[in-house]
Amino acid sequence: MDMIHMNIVESAMIAIAREMGINVQKTAYSTIFSEAEDFTCALANRNGELIAVADFCPAQIGGVPLLVRSMVKEIPLSDMNEGDVIVHNDPYRGGLHTPEHTVFKPIFVEKEIVAFSVCIGHFVEVGGMVPGGFPGEATEVFHEGLRVPPVKIMKEGEDVPEVWKMMLANVRTPRGNYGDMRALISAVDLGEERLKNLIQKYGAEAFEKTVQDLMDYSEKRMRAELETFKDGKYTFIDTIEDDGIEDKEYEIHVAVYVQGGEVVVDYTGSSKQAKGPINATLGVAWSAAFNAILHMTDETIPLNSGCLRPIRVIAPAGTVMNVDYPGSSVGGNTESHPLIVCAIFGAMVDCVPDRVMASEGTTHGCFVFGGHDPLNDEPYGGFDFSYVGYGGRLFADGNDATDSINGNCANTPMEVFETRFPWIVEEYALRPNSGGPGKFRGGLSNVKQMLCTGEMLVSQMTNKHKLSAWGLEDGQEGALGATLYKKSGTEKWETTVEGYGKVSSSKYSNIPMTPGDRVRVLAPGGGGYGSPLERSRASVEEDVREGYVTEDRAKEFYGL
Amino acid sequence: MARILGIDVGGTFTDFVSYDSKTQTLEVWKTSSTPGDPSDGILNGMAQKISDKVEYMRFGTTVATNAILERKGAKVAFVTTQGFKDVPFIQRGKRKSHYDITWIKSKPLVKRRDCYEIDERVTPREGIYKPLNESQAREVAKKINSDPEIESIAVCLLCSYIFPEHERQLKAIFETECPSKPVSISYDLLPKWKEHERSSTTIADAYIKPIVSRNLQLLQDRVEARGDIGKIAVIKSNGGEITLQAARQFPIHLSLSGPTGGVIGAKYIANLSGISNLVTLDMGGTSTDVSTVVNARESFTTSYEIEFGIPIQIPMLDIRTMGAGGGSIAWIDKGGMLRVGPQSAGAQPGPACYGRGGEEPTVTDANVVLGRINPSNFLGGEMGLDVQAANKAVQKVADEIKVTIDEAAMGIVQIANNNMVGALRMVLTERGLDPRDFTLLAFGGAGPVHITDVMHSANISSGIVPNYPGQFSAFGFIMTDARIDLERTAQMTSKAFDKEHASRVLSDLVKEAEKSLSAQGYSGTLEVYRSLEMRYFGQNHELEVPIAFDVFDNLTISEVWERFHSVHKARYGFDIPGETIELISIKVTAVSVTLKPSLPEIEKAITPAEPINKREVRFDSGYLNTAVYSRAKLRAGDHFNGPAIIEEGASVTVIRPEYNVKIDPYGNILIGEIATN
Repeated sequence: MDMIHMNIVESAMIAIAREMGINVQKTAYSTIFSEAEDFTCALANRNGELIAVADFCPAQIGGVPLLVRSMVKEIPLSDMNEGDVIVHNDPYRGGLHTPEHTVFKPIFVEKEIVAFSVCIGHFVEVGGMVPGGFPGEATEVFHEGLRVPPVKIMKEGEDVPEVWKMMLANVRTPRGNYGDMRALISAVDLGEERLKNLIQKYGAEAFEKTVQDLMDYSEKRMRAELETFKDGKYTFIDTIEDDGIEDKEYEIHVAVYVQGGEVVVDYTGSSKQAKGPINATLGVAWSAAFNAILHMTDETIPLNSGCLRPIRVIAPAGTVMNVDYPGSSVGGNTESHPLIVCAIFGAMVDCVPDRVMASEGTTHGCFVFGGHDPLNDEPYGGFDFSYVGYGGRLFADGNDATDSINGNCANTPMEVFETRFPWIVEEYALRPNSGGPGKFRGGLSNVKQMLCTGEMLVSQMTNKHKLSAWGLEDGQEGALGATLYKKSGTEKWETTVEGYGKVSSSKYSNIPMTPGDRVRVLAPGGGGYGSPLERSRASVEEDVREGYVTEDRAKEFYGL
Repeated sequence: MARILGIDVGGTFTDFVSYDSKTQTLEVWKTSSTPGDPSDGILNGMAQKISDKVEYMRFGTTVATNAILERKGAKVAFVTTQGFKDVPFIQRGKRKSHYDITWIKSKPLVKRRDCYEIDERVTPREGIYKPLNESQAREVAKKINSDPEIESIAVCLLCSYIFPEHERQLKAIFETECPSKPVSISYDLLPKWKEHERSSTTIADAYIKPIVSRNLQLLQDRVEARGDIGKIAVIKSNGGEITLQAARQFPIHLSLSGPTGGVIGAKYIANLSGISNLVTLDMGGTSTDVSTVVNARESFTTSYEIEFGIPIQIPMLDIRTMGAGGGSIAWIDKGGMLRVGPQSAGAQPGPACYGRGGEEPTVTDANVVLGRINPSNFLGGEMGLDVQAANKAVQKVADEIKVTIDEAAMGIVQIANNNMVGALRMVLTERGLDPRDFTLLAFGGAGPVHITDVMHSANISSGIVPNYPGQFSAFGFIMTDARIDLERTAQMTSKAFDKEHASRVLSDLVKEAEKSLSAQGYSGTLEVYRSLEMRYFGQNHELEVPIAFDVFDNLTISEVWERFHSVHKARYGFDIPGETIELISIKVTAVSVTLKPSLPEIEKAITPAEPINKREVRFDSGYLNTAVYSRAKLRAGDHFNGPAIIEEGASVTVIRPEYNVKIDPYGNILIGEIATN
């Protein structure tokens, strides 16, 4: 193993993936790419192993190996030609949920495929029953937008017009989707060109050897790390509060077996799959387990399939942890993923107390809307993130207003948001008292209040309106989230259950809004860590002075 | 013009370069820096050498940078639109990295209890949606005034980049009600959308205003008291100079003043040698700065963060800093991989070879092991190096990964080079530039040591090591021009383009830029550059397209749209013909050109250059018997082939076997293709 050469190849590949991402960000049309960075750029070898990835959106990273393998199953390497680009979004073929589109480009060196350049991006508009891609009341994958099995969108460098036409005919914002797809393709083109240069510099054989070494190295580091974990079985159960269709709870069972440098994450015992779209696909169940373990281990281990080898996942089919066809799954990737990660933290607090946190708010808000914008005379679709409080830790408070753990998406600035969409934002603030009390308190979440100025349909897929973020080691729970509507001309703030007859206040489809209506989206706060009575007086006083905690609450929980 | 003085205040030393136009000579010296009050170091250094009148004194300052990085600025009151005081705290909602459970979100430069909201609202679609509540504003102003700890005020209102009136009204109110507290408004600093970036920039300006103001005033008073200094100017982050009086108005523009000197010097060298594209590598002990000169012009950016999530967006030279230098420590990670940095041995104890007790192997130690650095001629012989200590330190990592000491030392140097090549690629390829079109200019103490390795790995065929590579930043400061960058939002699409409005914004900007320079007393030749920030309608990031006209008419505007398509294609590999294009803002830069020194030429070579000795130096293929030259003895026109070592006081230039060298008329070392012409 040539450690010096390996270091050089690894940093070159990460730089390539990062450059690919910059192309997406700068050229995409949707703010979810250009501002939120809800995409991932990666390189894979011909076996579908992840060999390098840049820091963009973590939910998608663990999905890469399964995605590449599923694609190759349907389009064998022998059917791929230089210049082909393949697109795919099917949750039942290794995908994460319908909005997540993966674009692949095979990289040929001397007529042989050596690697793939891969870009996964979250499209806001995918057709289906609601504008914006998050039908909270979907019960089948068909409700969740156009399913695209692995198909060539470009052949030998030329567009395949039939595929473009078919895809763009099934979405509400074809012009934006066209621009976004071009952005993703430009990224895989760039990745192809750059990686090819790198491979040619060393020769394909030497390159492949180095990449194998690199994965072996990552595996070795991960095993060494896991060997320091105390062997044992660690369990936790968390609950999905409802699915948008029935007012009923679903359990996520987690058993983490740690033994001799390996980990098995077993979801056996989890509830049967839900009718509504909170189910995880197999890709999500894997990705969430990887995400949790990566949080507990050394961040400097090169992220590739090698470091995932010591981690195994058991996800029984037909449960909320591995949905059977044709169940719905759009919220599994956004809402259930962070719940799973936190459940694994909850299990592992006895094993590695300094590498976990109390529950965070486990939602991205996923407030989506769409309509026809009279200003530009064109249809639009938008996705708005909420930021949750993170959980307190053994050594520090939870962070305030941060994207939930399976994403790392930036907000769309209010000034950009109001330019793009017919809304006026009236408040964008932290929620005092939303952090769960603790020796290290949970982080505060945010609240956003908006006035509607156009006709539109609104849907949402969020969490923790009924079951709050739990604390650890006597830490207290964080504040619940809520979404409240106030119709024009009325003075009453109502949930969608009260005002629109929906089953759920957090998962619903197609609320009609008209100018003068208002909505107020409150994200959930994080859980606390340790007893609040042990919090230092100076920290409590500073929290009160800074307005993170009100005086009466400081008296009630912290004995100020 | 008699004498120009350039001063670069660094962490350890303050460098001075003085140019005398009568004798056409340069003088270079340095003194210890005085971080407590940088003006002491400046005055000390001047006292050492300056005996006659200095016409022009320019300096780069680190006062603003340090106040921000060390969080030693003023207590600021932040004033914003009702409902938005938490924008600096929420930031953009992102984590610094994906899997770091220990990460703690950055705090803004203001306390939450010092944030105030004003009842008013402007929106992009509705315009003035709610008028400014002046009486409430006055109440807030009185409250701020009654807090003796608050030293300055930052105002950023939502959508003020479209409609600045409310911010201006507030400024007037605060100036009346809080006469002792300076007010920064966002429109003056960053009239562009995205409220967090604009707020953060405005807060940072207010945060450093009192301390920068005091420092500049103090320096000005002390220098003027000498009675022999003509004009004094300080260098902005955009590499242009500004009078001290004007700089105090918007101190945020000084936030990255220090590192600009090398880039200005690079631009000068580019023009002098007729090279249009340069990439600079300024490698010191703990960090390396990389920047570019493209088509003989510096590259600019507005994207900078003082900490993760705390941006400052002002026009600045695009200088990327990475934490890798001669002092970067090599270590073996848990999986047995050799790594270099980001830890550095710093100045104390420094690399093991400094013999000050450092035991960790650094890049400099590896260069000593490989015979590249001469232990008896480091810093011109001022400091002897401890070869034993270097060997011992490098041997330690060699043993751990079971290779020979030479292989380990080569590995350390290669990884350090690779990190630098990565940084070079980022500054070039991120903007669609091809390294093969560039010449590498290396300076700083360690830059010349690595120049040919980096050229080799990055596919760059020509390189230059300028004179005084150790004081090149101060050299740059004798070459500055006065410069102002202005930008205004003028959002409209190609479908509904208001040519008259665009022409008016453009001409207003040009007038404003000219006025600002002439108010500071700059009357030299004025160069005006205009450009447009544009994108496809629906995209969110703009591409800058330069224009060369004053009036938007049917002809010029259709050229602009075509130009945009081709720039997009060149930059990102595709365009979307027929797509609507959106203009976001109009930018104007005005440069008042100052008189430049004409550099002295050195003696011409008559006989071939003679090495001062030969020694074994390790290159990729093994040890080679290598000629060692003294830079002081080289003459214009001297040329020789690698492998070679060129030693001078502040640095060592290492020439790989595949390159040749030529000395240009001014004494610059030319390497590779450029040396064969």
